[in-house]
Order: sequence, then C-alpha cells, then structure tokens
Amino acid sequence: MIKVEKLNSGYGKLQILFDIDLEVPKGEITTIVGPNGSGKSTFLKSLFGLTDIYSGSIIYEGKDITYTPPHEKTKMGISYLPQTNNVFTNLTVRENLRIAGYILERDEVEERINFALEVFPELKDILDRKAGSLSGGQRQMLAMATALVRKTKLLILDEPTAQLSPKLAQLIFDKIVELRDSYSITPLLVEQNAKRALEISDIGYMFVSGRVVYGGPAKALLNHEKFQSYFLGIVGVEEC
Amino acid sequence: MIDVVIGAIVWSNLLVLLALGLTMTYITTGVPNFAQASFAIIGSYIALTLLRLAELHPYLSLPVTFILGGILGLLTYYLALKPLIKRKASIEMLMIATLAWDLILFGITGAYSELLSSITKKTETLFVFTYLDFEFYGLPGRLIVSSLLVLLTILGLYLLLYKTKFGIALRASMENPSLAEAMGINVENTRLFSWFLSGALACMAGSVLPFLQEIVPQTGYFIIVSIFAASIVGGLYHILGALIGGYIIGISESLFTYVLSIFLGPGVLVYSKVISLLMMIVTILIHPKGITGTELWRKVERWLNL
Amino acid sequence: MVELITLILFFFALYTIVSLSLNLEFGYGGIPNFGKALYVLTGAVVVGGILNRLLIWYFGIEGDFISASSIAAYKMTELISQNPLLGLGIFIFCVLLAIVAGAIVGALSILPSAKLKEDYLGVTLLAISEVVYLILFYNTEIVGGYYGVSTPDILAFIPGEYRMYAYTVLGLICAIIVYLFLERLLNSPYGRILRGHRENEDLIKAFGRDVMKLRVKTMAIGSAIAAIAGVIFVFYSASVVVNAFNRVEWTFYPFLIVLLGGKGNNRGVVLGAFIFVLLKMLIDFYKFDIKYLLHLPFEAVWLQYIIFGILALLILCYKPEGILKERPIFTPPIKSRINE
Ligand SMILES: Nc1ncnc2c1ncn2[C@@H]1O[C@H](COP(=O)(O)OP(=O)(O)O)[C@@H](O)[C@H]1O
Ligand SMILES: [Mg+2]
Repeated sequence: MIKVEKLNSGYGKLQILFDIDLEVPKGEITTIVGPNGSGKSTFLKSLFGLTDIYSGSIIYEGKDITYTPPHEKTKMGISYLPQTNNVFTNLTVRENLRIAGYILERDEVEERINFALEVFPELKDILDRKAGSLSGGQRQMLAMATALVRKTKLLILDEPTAQLSPKLAQLIFDKIVELRDSYSITPLLVEQNAKRALEISDIGYMFVSGRVVYGGPAKALLNHEKFQSYFLGIVGVEEC
Repeated sequence: MIDVVIGAIVWSNLLVLLALGLTMTYITTGVPNFAQASFAIIGSYIALTLLRLAELHPYLSLPVTFILGGILGLLTYYLALKPLIKRKASIEMLMIATLAWDLILFGITGAYSELLSSITKKTETLFVFTYLDFEFYGLPGRLIVSSLLVLLTILGLYLLLYKTKFGIALRASMENPSLAEAMGINVENTRLFSWFLSGALACMAGSVLPFLQEIVPQTGYFIIVSIFAASIVGGLYHILGALIGGYIIGISESLFTYVLSIFLGPGVLVYSKVISLLMMIVTILIHPKGITGTELWRKVERWLNL
Repeated sequence: MVELITLILFFFALYTIVSLSLNLEFGYGGIPNFGKALYVLTGAVVVGGILNRLLIWYFGIEGDFISASSIAAYKMTELISQNPLLGLGIFIFCVLLAIVAGAIVGALSILPSAKLKEDYLGVTLLAISEVVYLILFYNTEIVGGYYGVSTPDILAFIPGEYRMYAYTVLGLICAIIVYLFLERLLNSPYGRILRGHRENEDLIKAFGRDVMKLRVKTMAIGSAIAAIAGVIFVFYSASVVVNAFNRVEWTFYPFLIVLLGGKGNNRGVVLGAFIFVLLKMLIDFYKFDIKYLLHLPFEAVWLQYIIFGILALLILCYKPEGILKERPIFTPPIKSRINE
C-alpha cells in the first residue's frame, strides 16, 4: 500500500528521523511502537506531508508522493488523524462529518455520512452537539467516522486510544479491526498501548531515537528482546 | 445629549466594522494588521473621489467602496504578507511588514490627496461629508446607514458561516488550519476571504467616517488605537469579539469625551484614546484573550447554542 | 555641500544611537518595540517640559508656558554664550535626567505585556506610544504640542557658523560612547543571557532567569539610550515640536535600519544607519528638485514614505538577515551546556 525508503525528515534544521525503511501492506494492520519522543508522530506527519523531508521516498500505490501536499493526499484516499485536535471543536458533529466530505459531491456526502453513522451508531444521538463537548471516546469515534466519510483507503491513526479507559480502548481496537475486515481500509497506527495494539496487528515496527530497530510480524515483535526491555517494564505495569 | 448618543452609536458601528476585519485576519493569518486604520482612510478618499469625479453620493457609492476595499485587502495579503509567509518569516517580521505597508498606504493617501486637489482645484487634504447627510424621521443618515451596515454584515456573516459549506469550511480552517488542510480544504481561501472582507468592511467604514469627523491623511494614526482596543477587549480569537469590543470601546470613548468636555470644554477628543488604552491594558493584564475568551462567555455561547 | 555632509553626519549619529538601542531590544532581546518613538520623545520632554519649567521658575518668568519658555530659553542662551561650562553642565544634566526618565518610561510601558507573546507586546507598545504622542501633540501646555517651545542653545558659546559642526561632533561622540557601552554590555553576564534568550528561551528558564525581568531590564536600558538621542535632537533644533517625534521617523525608520544593517549585529546597524540617513537626507535635500524633475503633483515626502515602505518589504522578503549577517553566537555557558 505504502512503501517508505531511506526517509530523513524533521522540523527545520532539527532532524528527527534517520533512514526510515517501512512498508504497510494492503489489508493488514500495521502498528508502530517505541518510547516517547522516538519520532513516531513525526513519522506519521512526514507521511502526510506536515514536516520537512530532506531525502528518501514515499511510494503510495505505485505513485511517488514524497512531496505531495496534504490536501492532495486526502484526495488520494489517505487520512491522517493526529493525536490531539483531530476534530473541529467549534463545529457540531454533523458539521464535522459534512466538512469531512468537503471534496465530495453534495449527494454523495449525505450517503457517506449515513454510511459512517452505520459503522458508528454511537454518534447518531449527538449529531447536533458541538464536538468540543464530547467525551474522549466519542471524539475519537467522530474522528474515525470523518475518515469514513472521506472514502479512506489508508487510515493513519496517532495514538487513538490515548487517555481512554481500557474498555473504550478495546472498543476502538475492535472498530479498527472491523474497518479492515468489512470496509477494506488499511490502518496504520502508532500506539502507546503497545501490547494490545500489537495483538490485533499483523505487522509491527519499533522506533528508537528516530530509527527503525525492528520491522516484521507483530507477534514476533511482542516477544522480541528489544521490545521487552523497552516496553514491558513500563507498559506492562500500567496495564495490570 | 441625544447628539452624543447618536455619535456614540455611529462611532461604535464603525469601530465594529473595522475591528471585525482586524480580528478575522488575525485569526486566519496570525498577524495584527497595523494598516487597518489606513484601509479606512483609503475608503474615505475613495468615497471622496467618487463624489467629486462621478458625483456619486458617499452612501450610494458604498458597493463600489466595498469592492475596491476588498481588492485593497487582497493586495495587502499578496504583496506584503504572502511572500514572507512562504519563506516562513517570524511573527515579528510579519508585523513589520504590515507597518511598512501602512507607511506605503499613508504615502499613497497623502500623495493622492494632493493630486486630487490639483484636479478638483479644491483642498482635498481635509474634508467632511456632514453637509451631505440626510435625515429620516429626525434620525441622521449616518446613524441609519452605519447601523444597517453592521446589521447586514452580521447577518451575512452568520448565514455564510453557519449555513453554507464554504462557511463551515471557513470556521473549520480558522479553528485548526492543518486539520482543515487534511480534510482537503484549501486553507488559502480562508485567508483570501478574510483579507477581502477586512479591506471591504474597513473601506465602507471609512466612507461613512467623514460624516462623523474631519478626515486628513493622518487620521489613521488617530483611530488605530481604538481599533486594536476594540479587538483585544472583545477577544482577538473570536469574530464576535469585534462586535462586543467595538461597542464597549466606541461607547466608552464617546461618553468619556462627553463627560470630560462638560468640565474642560471642547478639544478633549484626544483623551478618549486614554480610555481605550486603559481598557486594552486592563484586558491584557487580566485576561489577554478578551471577553470572548473567558469561561463565562463559553457558557453564554453554549446557552445560545452558537 | 559641506552643510549637507554635516547634516548627514548629525542625523547619522542620532539614528545610530536610536537604532543601536532598538537592536538591543529587538535584535538581541526579541522585543518588537513598536513604541520606539515614545522613548526618543521622552528625551525631548525632559528638555522641553522639565528643563524649561526649571528655567522659568529660576528666572521667575510670568505668563503662559510657551511664551515664558521662549524668554527663559533666550535668557539661558545669553548666559551660556558667556559661559561654556554652563552649557555643557546643562547638557549633561539633561542627559542624566533623560536616562532616568527613559528607563522608567521604558520599564513601565512593557510591564502590561511583558509576559505575553510577541504580537501582544508589539501592539501594546505601539498603542501606548501613540496615545502619549497624541496627547503631547494636542495638549500644548505640556511641551508646546503642535506649536512647539523654544529651548536654550547649549552650544551658544560657539560662533554661529560653527554651531552645526559642533552639534554634529557632540552627536558623534555620544554615538561612539553608546556603541562602546553596548558592546561591553553584550559581553557582560546580562548580555550573554540576553543573547542566549533568543537562541533558546527554555534554556534561559532552566538557568532560573525570568524572561519577564529580562524584558523589563532590556527595555529600561534601550529606552534610556533612545532618550539621549531625543535630548541631542532638541538642543540641536533649539526647540521641541512634537510632530518631529512621530512614529514613522523614530519607530519605523529605526526598524528599517536594523533590518537593513542586520539584526543582532551592532556594526551592521551602524552601517545601516549610514546608508539610510544618506538616502533620506538626499531625498530631503533635493525634494524640490525631485518634485520638479518628476513633475510630481504632490510633495516629495509622500514619495519618501512609499520608497522606504517598499524598501522595508523588499528587505524582509529578500534579505531578512540584513547586509551584515549576525555572527553565530555561542556564548560560553551555552557552549558548555551543548558539550555536556
Ligand atoms: N513541531 C515540532 N517542532 C520541533 N520539534 C518537534 C516538533 N514535534 C516534535 N518534535 C520533537 O521531535 C521528537 C520526536 O517527537 P514525536 O515524533 O512526537 O515522538 P513520539 O510521537 O514518538 O513520542 C521529540 O524530540 C520532539 O521534541
Ligand atoms: Mg507521539
């Protein structure tokens, strides 16, 4: 689906990522884990064109999109939901969904919104509430629903379960699996909830200090020594 | 006394129009536009030109002023700001750019006022429109026209922002430009729109201003503080802030001047600026985000379901 | 011609002083001080408003402030022409007073916004400066407003034809002193912190220095220096006319100079001041010829505004680092931190 080669990027003169090689296969869930500050979010932003890219290439469905501007990528079926501020808080839920279909035809938008609401029926009762007044879980679902309105093929999620209760987090993970299975969307996520995320994933990557230290089957990463030394000490305790 | 009230409302209406543009461009472009007052004075001279050369009454020429003002706003963005934004200039640099643009507009206004004088063979460096005003059931035209302008602007903005797709996209881009971009919205359009509207509203305000006071090329330097005070007191991060701040500042200035003139006689207009400055400083000290940035306002908003 | 050169050198000295002080605040301290004119005006008020009142009181002159000032200034000038030391004494007295007044006004005016972002800083400083200017302009009882007031000629002991040269020399001496003072200041612990402040605000916080205090201090020093220029300017023109201290001439032009020369580089700023004053004086000096030659249907001063406005935009766009680029400064404490 998307293939990244030797990517070097950062903010201005500050380089964060070094020689990243990464591949997201179509129809599989790919998860990136790694300690705080290791550049995971920066990588997702780089994919979407929100950082400065110094060298390397990003190939999406055979096309080079390394320097394609974000709104063009949206039209190509790539959706990126940032960690925070991923919905417009001053707009109502309905307006958020509508604006998500900005690039579509008028009739099509209504159709897509209805479809998104079928996948996320939780949103049906709160259509006229301002997104700013929603709970964390509702907000995250709204964010994912906006991606559905947009006919997303590749869905990039930055820590979708951050600050959610374990129960809600599980609900979000289930939705992610559902998106892949029933709606042929390819999810790419970054997760602090590393263990549980890897359990639903097919492919796992691990970043440390802006470099890839592991890339391969997700299950294998769970048992990898690097993962255990970096993570289970910390995350494991949190999850108990 | 009734004259004072009328004067206060007219001045407040004009301040609202001027502050609205300042606030909108601040939200979309992130730079306080120091040339906002010069927009108004250019509007005054556009109206004067149309009056002298096309014999168009300033009220009737408002649509033309609106469009020319919009073009002025767009030029400001394209010539003074966009090249710098593209080069990722810092906010200080952008502010200096609007100061430089202000100076250019000041130079153009001054030069033009003398050029116009040489064409019409009258002194055009100082002028008023008060003698052109009409009355309607005892109410002066400037009161009716300026109130209508504010009403139409607010109504138009409301319909646009809440009822159209473009408007929703505008609100989205104002709140979170990068997310809006991710939605496929061209955020640049928001900027263009806000600069067009800012110039257009300011020039319309400027063409009504000579009904209220004398205009000279330097008048901009006299009103800039009031505009900033209005936007800041109301809140620079919310369009409605300009409406609230405009009335607070406009009415305070007028009443203060009135009270002062009772004690000190005429010629005290300049001290009204002290009031604006003080209100602005108090706002900055207590709550820099202004009235629309307070928790209380958020509650009001929720209650109004805006 | 000699006259023109002297004039250029005099204003070069004045603009050097003001622009160097702005470079301290803006170039090194990152404070967009759009109220610069106010502090130059403060120096003028010290002479026109304070010194004049002292003289009126000393000579026991009756009548309204403006005409009493003329008489006082005349009497004082007479005394000075007999006694050079008196003139220099008054000059030094006024400079010291201006330094104190400038520092106070500078510190006070940044207080409301000292903790806020650059845009609020710039707007507030500009607003304060504009309002004070307008009041001093329209109220003729404070320093004469748009009428202006006369002030004593502190170099009255020098024969008329050499007076202008003497003032130019005086201005240049002050400019040199200010330059040397600032160079030393920037190498003091305070100066290092200030330069570091722009490199990395977090680092300064880690050092335990409060950004607000740093800004207040910087504004106090910068404004004190700017006020000196106001004093010199007033004595040179032997009068205070408030219009002469407007925002264009004493806020915008110093910014143009700092940008032109290179912000954060004092030598560049001196060079910038020279180029700017040369241009400005040539336009001023030949304004009638320009008007006539180009068949302008308006005064050349408007053209000057347009030209300098465009020049500023061009510099911002194509050469934002100025003629002399700021030297990369790694001050010792930061260097050691980086090496850690
Ligand atoms: N907008 C930015 N500008 C400059 N540096 C940034 C920015 N965002 C993040 N960084 C830096 O990039 C590094 C990686 O951050 P990030 O990608 O957010 O890590 P992660 O998501 O893995 O926790 C951090 O050192 C952070 O300070
Ligand atoms: Mg992150």
